[in-house]
Amino acid sequence: MSYYDVDSILTDAQKLPCTFELEVPGLGILEGNPGEDIKPGTRIDLPLWLGEMLSIGARLGTSRLVTLDMPPALSERVMNALKADPRTVDLRALAPHFYSLSERILELFEEEEMVDVLTETFKRRAAEISDHAHNPRGAVGDGVDFLRGLDETERQLFRAAHDRAKEMRVWSGEAKKK
Amino acid sequence: MAFPLPRGITPSEIAFLAEMEMVTVVPRQRLEGLELLGGPVEPLVPPRPSTPREYYPPAWLHPDPLSLILEVESQHQDYKNAFSPPLPLPGQPSIRDNGLAPKARPQYTPDGDRYFPSPPFLPQNTAQMTISSRDPPALPFHWVEIGNMLLEAASDDLVEADQVRRLLKDLREIRLSKMRAGVDALDAAAVGGGGVALTGVGAMEVGEERGFLSGVVDNLRKIGASKEQARREQMAEQRANGGYNGTQDEEEEEDYMEF
Amino acid sequence: MDIDDILASVDRGAGASAESAAMDHQLLTRFWVAERAVSEVLPWPTVLMDRMMDRVRMQIESIEDLAASSADVPTNNTHNPNLNLRLSILQTDLARTQYLIRSLLRQRLAKLTKYSMHYLVKLSGNKNPLSQSQSQSQSQSQATPSDSVPDLSTVTDFTPLSENEANFVHSHQNLLAGHYSGSFMEAFPRQLRRLDDNAGGTSMIQGPDTKESVFVRCLAGEVPVIVVGDEGEEDIGVTMRMGDVWVVRWEGIKSAWEKGEVELL
Repeated sequence: MSYYDVDSILTDAQKLPCTFELEVPGLGILEGNPGEDIKPGTRIDLPLWLGEMLSIGARLGTSRLVTLDMPPALSERVMNALKADPRTVDLRALAPHFYSLSERILELFEEEEMVDVLTETFKRRAAEISDHAHNPRGAVGDGVDFLRGLDETERQLFRAAHDRAKEMRVWSGEAKKK
Repeated sequence: MAFPLPRGITPSEIAFLAEMEMVTVVPRQRLEGLELLGGPVEPLVPPRPSTPREYYPPAWLHPDPLSLILEVESQHQDYKNAFSPPLPLPGQPSIRDNGLAPKARPQYTPDGDRYFPSPPFLPQNTAQMTISSRDPPALPFHWVEIGNMLLEAASDDLVEADQVRRLLKDLREIRLSKMRAGVDALDAAAVGGGGVALTGVGAMEVGEERGFLSGVVDNLRKIGASKEQARREQMAEQRANGGYNGTQDEEEEEDYMEF
Repeated sequence: MDIDDILASVDRGAGASAESAAMDHQLLTRFWVAERAVSEVLPWPTVLMDRMMDRVRMQIESIEDLAASSADVPTNNTHNPNLNLRLSILQTDLARTQYLIRSLLRQRLAKLTKYSMHYLVKLSGNKNPLSQSQSQSQSQSQATPSDSVPDLSTVTDFTPLSENEANFVHSHQNLLAGHYSGSFMEAFPRQLRRLDDNAGGTSMIQGPDTKESVFVRCLAGEVPVIVVGDEGEEDIGVTMRMGDVWVVRWEGIKSAWEKGEVELL
């Protein structure tokens, strides 16, 4: 998390499922019941920053307030889809900051296999991004759907690749400025 | 402070660098020597008898060497996934003497530090290139820029300029596709102490792909950060227990691939 | 001859000779490429830049002299038919050097303002260890954002910045702190007015990421890539050979770069 980075702040605001382990008086507001208590076993989606804070006890092995679960964006089902064909998954629909979220989640959970799946996913999709970024005619056909499904990290990658390729074409006289 | 350029020099800045390359010209008029900030320039004296040429191209900018390089890039088994070998630096053994140890020859800066010259400050694009005939032809680091500029400014003095232009275009394409096919090998650069070799790559090719490649590497590093951390802790533990003997390390070195 | 001129001619000495002009130009060019390639501010090459600035000054003088001599004889161009050509070559060469220096300085200022608190804290750590404990007493009476701007008055070592850059970033941060204070921070509780807060596990002080990847060429015979862990340099990774170009982590080859064994591309 870095203080002035808006993507990092937005990532922190993404929600993940939390289960309360203890009764918390007066915190029912999180559930939409102001004034009520929260009962043990209650499942609520909380923003990453809050869930992480409340789960610290759990990770230290002392009394746990909440336990965290994998967000739906990183569920078993999504991982299987990514293993089958990473290019057809709409990451943006799963989470606008899909990779940043994954990186934060992987700090909290030990999931070596997920690291491997995401690494492979990112590489396969990056190669596809590069192809589209170098196409001077812009996105066509299937490409439009693929590019629409890029998460924020991938969009920035597309922009970096596209801008350099364009500047190169401008320098060599193949394209006009602007 | 507004500074709009991204990290790493951009194509126009790379072209600016390439303009510092030395080329061989034939003077049309006299000009006394000049003390430039870039270094002294010799007096210009027109040759006698005069020649119609204005310019002598570097040896590589010719259909024969370029076709040979293109053949290596496209046919040679060793370079299926790699660029053809670059022009050697001073003191670097040629590709034919692969076993020889390199003898880097430093110059010394006015402050007494070692300085190893490199492009654009090596005579890679002058006509009097002193490479022995047994060395295979190779592309200079600034081949894209120099090729482009000379085709524009001095095509009359090039041998078969149209053929040269076609060959340069083919080389650009085949090398660009190698560069992009290399995404798969990039995780080797995403771990500490690792890296991906791009030896033979040209300056402009780095400039074109820099944003993409470093973006991929840096994001792969972030995705794998937890795994790298876990492995480091494990190794530190092994070392603390005296069980560390370096074998695991060697295994990891095998990870890297020539690109 | 003026005494200043005599001193100046001595100063020019070996450092500013014609032969070393080419070398300095190469060093400046290489340094500019490097500064553009990495996320942190590289150590300011004081002596090189002093020599460069001297050269630029002298070159401007000789261009002015040459231009003046052409103005003296506006009609008589047979005297030196190439004068205008020479002038335009000299001016282009000057402009190219000025471009390098300007781009270098702008890039450094961009990094400095982006990571201003990081560099100010770093600089304040450079000071004589005997004269510390000042900042601690201040933190008690935290009242304005500018109180969290480190005091550089006792700092004499400005590494990696030049003295001018250190003064710039210090003034910059004070202006910024004053602006924050005037526009919104004054309304905050006293304990929330710091610019170097660490609460909640997120530091307000952001520094450059030294793990970012860079493109390098190996210039020495062999250069190993270093594995940098939490406790500094821990291990050795892959080895680069002379003439190789690699994509590696900046932190892994930084010390080799300082020794001139690799160059950034």
